[in-house]
Amino acid sequence: MTASVAETPMAAPPSRSRAIGVALGSLLLLVLPALATDRYLETATRGLIASLFALAFNLLWRHCRLLSFGHAAYFGAGMFATIHAMRAAEAGSLDLPLPLMPLMGLLAGAVLGLVCGALATIRTGTYFAMITLAISELVHSFGPQFGSLFGGESGLSAMRMPWAGFAFGDARQVYVLVLAWALAGAAALWLFGMTPLGRTAFAVGENETRLRFLGMRTHAVKTATFCASAAASGLAGALLAVANENVDYSIFGGGASAAPVMHTFIGGAGTFLGPVLGAVLLTGFGSIVGQATRLWLLYQGIFFVLVVMLAPGGLAGLVAAGLRRSADGQAAKALRATALVLAGALLVTCAVVFAGETLSEVLSDAYSAARATTGMRFPPVERLGLAYSPLSLPLWAAAAAAFLGGVLLLRRAMRP
Amino acid sequence: MDYFVISLLNGVVYGLLLFMVSSGLTLVFGMMGVLNFAHGSFYMIGAYAGYAIARVTGFWPAMVLAPVVVALIGAAVERWLLEPVHRHGHAQELLLTFGLVFVIEELAKLLFGPFAVDNPMPAELARPALQVGDIAFPAFKAFIGVVAAAMFAGLFALLRLTRAGLVVRAAVHRPDMVSALGHDVSRVFMLVFALGAGLAGLAGAVAGVFYPVSPNMAHELGVIVFVVVVVGGLGSLPGALVASLLIGLSTTFAVGIDATLGDGLRTLGLAWTMGGIFDVRLSSMSGAIPFFLMLLILLLRPSGLLGERA
Repeated sequence: MTASVAETPMAAPPSRSRAIGVALGSLLLLVLPALATDRYLETATRGLIASLFALAFNLLWRHCRLLSFGHAAYFGAGMFATIHAMRAAEAGSLDLPLPLMPLMGLLAGAVLGLVCGALATIRTGTYFAMITLAISELVHSFGPQFGSLFGGESGLSAMRMPWAGFAFGDARQVYVLVLAWALAGAAALWLFGMTPLGRTAFAVGENETRLRFLGMRTHAVKTATFCASAAASGLAGALLAVANENVDYSIFGGGASAAPVMHTFIGGAGTFLGPVLGAVLLTGFGSIVGQATRLWLLYQGIFFVLVVMLAPGGLAGLVAAGLRRSADGQAAKALRATALVLAGALLVTCAVVFAGETLSEVLSDAYSAARATTGMRFPPVERLGLAYSPLSLPLWAAAAAAFLGGVLLLRRAMRP
Repeated sequence: MDYFVISLLNGVVYGLLLFMVSSGLTLVFGMMGVLNFAHGSFYMIGAYAGYAIARVTGFWPAMVLAPVVVALIGAAVERWLLEPVHRHGHAQELLLTFGLVFVIEELAKLLFGPFAVDNPMPAELARPALQVGDIAFPAFKAFIGVVAAAMFAGLFALLRLTRAGLVVRAAVHRPDMVSALGHDVSRVFMLVFALGAGLAGLAGAVAGVFYPVSPNMAHELGVIVFVVVVVGGLGSLPGALVASLLIGLSTTFAVGIDATLGDGLRTLGLAWTMGGIFDVRLSSMSGAIPFFLMLLILLLRPSGLLGERA
């Protein structure tokens, strides 16, 4: 049994490069407040929260092979519990310092997760996915009803109260608070895998029937893992509540449940830190690209579909494979694969962005206005610093060729 | 009484609409073991296709062309996106369709804008079809009901009375055996996927007459349709029909009931003032009923009302 519950050895990068990566990452996180402006610090704060949420989601998938499409329920529960606690502290009826407020979210996530987990883990596979989705939709449909609990359309707001000389007024102090909790949460999730419960949960994911023959109460194991995952999700939600100081019931919607799924599988579900990679990358890109284009969500969706199709191990899986190859003395091969992936990704990105931006420009109101003033049926599009005809055949042919060529390159690079 | 008859008609029409979408979903699940998250998106594409084509050809040809377009899109999705992922396992297929939902929703926003489009109703459907007491039953609802009933009859005939239907039904239960008997199962998969997408597209095109055609409609109906197939039993066509009607009727009737849970307890003689969930009107909770029903079914009869696979 010990062999089967060990970490999937294929997916993990060599331990030395992992240690270097973790050390560099921690160093960057610690010096960031000294370097970054407030805007980037706020993005980093959201990246940390998204990372913790994705790690919590992946706890269930990595251990028990359970795919939850409704983790927004526990994230949202953590947010609302924390906001209520902060409001109580503001009114003077609760004496809890701000740095300990996230504990309320942790607790709320754990309680809701225990109840819902006990229900949902009766089934596995597709049924489990459906139940989690239904539970979060159920919670979402409660949203507009209970005004005192969810605050209706406008939601609820609270203030960060000062504590021990810290005002928690600027982005820097909030960042440090979130960083401390996110690191503690991530460490707890990592340690969960070391406990006997975590080991058994791995075994449940591998072969549940066999475990049941051994007399294990697998439902209890799955419920406990679900509860731990929901508690960490609630903690992540609590951190967002502390950072945003408000919440409304739209957090229970599909978007919040989709975020950890996308982050996890783009980053790579097979390794512990893969979801962090996905969360940081997508939050960072979303913050930068989201300002330049309306189509960020479309690009993110296409990116997700391409990763699912071409690189089932996610980005971390690619990195791990490359590192393993170079450790095996096949550095040239690893370099070639990296170059192929980069070239393919660049070609596909160019093609998708060209098509998306051109379409969005042609369909925009500004373009209709230009059509009216110039009197041309298809006046030139000014986009991406260029002016070109939206019907230009060579450009579209080049885009199609770049897309197909890029996908072919990527497929070639994925071949072992 | 009039109210009861009208609610019954409304519930049946909504239920049949749900069945049009869920039948394809449950067939595909039965054959491939994959729950297609993007099935609701095909419904949405059908509505948008119906709207766009109707502007060129007029309303009635669009009702025929839109499902064909969606079926072709479905076939392409199965062949070029789903099939290559098949070897990576069910979870990966589930994730792929999950991602497609977002891509299709964003594409709809890009092409048609983020809000509901103005989809005019043809004059033939805008008048009342029959009168029940003081309440009129509109023609477009009768139209939705007639199309759904015709589709049900057609699907039933196709699956039960033709040889192709025999192969499909066999492939739902024992794909390996059917393949061993010399049928090209992957081709059957693609055709059934296209058929299911086309049915969802037809439902969307027809429903677009009445329901707002917006990028949200995929998610709104998609989740309810999952509930339908789980309640009916994944892979069971009769189960999908029963569950569709059950959910259609229960949500329609709940909308008209203005009582609270507390009222119910008070009539039983448990009279005290309650708050919270006991004071929420049943009518405002009609959206939650399908999910309660689903949780109940999963706890009491996990394989669904008429499902056989545990």
